[in-house]
Amino acid sequence: MGVTMSEKKYTKDHEWVSIDNDIATVGISNHAQESLGDIVFIELPSVGKSVNAKDEICVVESVKAASDIYAPIDGEIMEVNNSLEGDAAIINQDAENTGWIFKMKVSNPSQYDELMNVDEYKIFLEQ
Amino acid sequence: MNELPIDIPLRKFHEAYGAKMVPFAGFNMPINYKAGIINEHKNVRNHSGIFDVSHMGQVLIENNDLHINNLEKYIPLKLNSLKKNKSNYTFLLNEKGGVVDDLIVSLIEIDSKSFLYIVYNASRKNEDEKIFFNCSSKAKIIHNKNCLFAIQGPESIEVLKNKIEIPSYMNFLDIYELKYKENLVIVSRSGYTGEDGFEISITNEQAEIFIKDLLENENTMLCGLGSRNSLRLEAGLSLYGHELNEEITPIEAGLSWALDKDRLNDTTLNGNKILSDQLYNKPSNKKIGLVSVNRAMLREGMILFDDNKNKIGKITSGCFSPNLNKSIAIGYVNSNFDEENEIFCEIRNKMELVKKTSLPFVKKNYKKNGSNYE
Repeated sequence: MGVTMSEKKYTKDHEWVSIDNDIATVGISNHAQESLGDIVFIELPSVGKSVNAKDEICVVESVKAASDIYAPIDGEIMEVNNSLEGDAAIINQDAENTGWIFKMKVSNPSQYDELMNVDEYKIFLEQ
Repeated sequence: MNELPIDIPLRKFHEAYGAKMVPFAGFNMPINYKAGIINEHKNVRNHSGIFDVSHMGQVLIENNDLHINNLEKYIPLKLNSLKKNKSNYTFLLNEKGGVVDDLIVSLIEIDSKSFLYIVYNASRKNEDEKIFFNCSSKAKIIHNKNCLFAIQGPESIEVLKNKIEIPSYMNFLDIYELKYKENLVIVSRSGYTGEDGFEISITNEQAEIFIKDLLENENTMLCGLGSRNSLRLEAGLSLYGHELNEEITPIEAGLSWALDKDRLNDTTLNGNKILSDQLYNKPSNKKIGLVSVNRAMLREGMILFDDNKNKIGKITSGCFSPNLNKSIAIGYVNSNFDEENEIFCEIRNKMELVKKTSLPFVKKNYKKNGSNYE
């Protein structure tokens, strides 16, 4: 407990997670937004919801298809990025920063440690 | 059936221009380039865009009584009274009046010989060619040696300026043999985006030079099948495998305007009884346009309900409309559904209100008076 701003980590579902104390910020990776193409709609998760890692919790829709967003780790949804509701294309422009999707209170920090760091994610993408 | 997708002749060229290639109807096709589907779409509506549609079928059938007689079993037009240098949107019909394919049939002259030039869907090549060869043992497939490009958008004529001389009298659905650098090309004023534009059949050898030549126009860009789909959907145009299939008749698809009504009394036409019956009594399903009320995306296969949660139909095509900035869709509902009632679409287990609208979603912009900004 008590870690401050951590390095960014990645899931196999192409989401990124960064942790500040016990709050994780989550979005989709730049690679994910590139392969989805123009994003036109997002259905944000409900604040207050308790989720487990790998749960489907919300959906992003690009011109090509709908894709599920999974909870990267266990916890509770604390906040969502409401500016995406008016302009989901922010994710295309800045997926790993202002295009964050939700923040969650982490209940099991060891799950975060198991995720890939940026170098591991790069290798994962090349496979 | 696990055959690998076939490469179109300019595959490498497209990849060098940043195309994302995807398998489509048995071909590796560009779905979009770096600009992305929405930018490509808007560029076609505001300026122009260049589509490689070389996956499509192209055949020449010698225009004689025997071939015409044979083809009239499948094609609901009077083929012996087609106008020279005109293209016609039509169908191949099965015995139930269902659509084997939708196609463009044109009457053209090559080396002072008269031919039917037919452009048809890549996904239906096997079915269509079986019919063509049954009707004419000398049907000549030309898509193996000719690429097909669609130049679409209000500035299409500008893109072709000084490259191919387009006659000032050339209107929508006119088709001519014209010259590009001393070589003959087949040029029709048509397309499938709702905009003015041209479809050009040109030899594989010249294809890359030609496209590079057209790209000298700074306001045009290469566009992929992604934007071609959203453009045709906004224009309310049907796509085979979505709005059209062997179980749907042209009348159910709202395309009775494309049928020659006299042919419906002709017992040699496939499905003529079913079609004439549907024309005078109503068919059991009708095609409608839908727009989303909230921002949720309408997609193919989603089920439509009335306000009593009775299933009334389903969506056959859906996409994001860049022009309307919301999702649009085409679908079929029971003909007896009262259109004054609310329609709901089931999206991820939730009932979302959608709004019925008339087709097309975006007004068509064809050139019908011969003016071409010259």
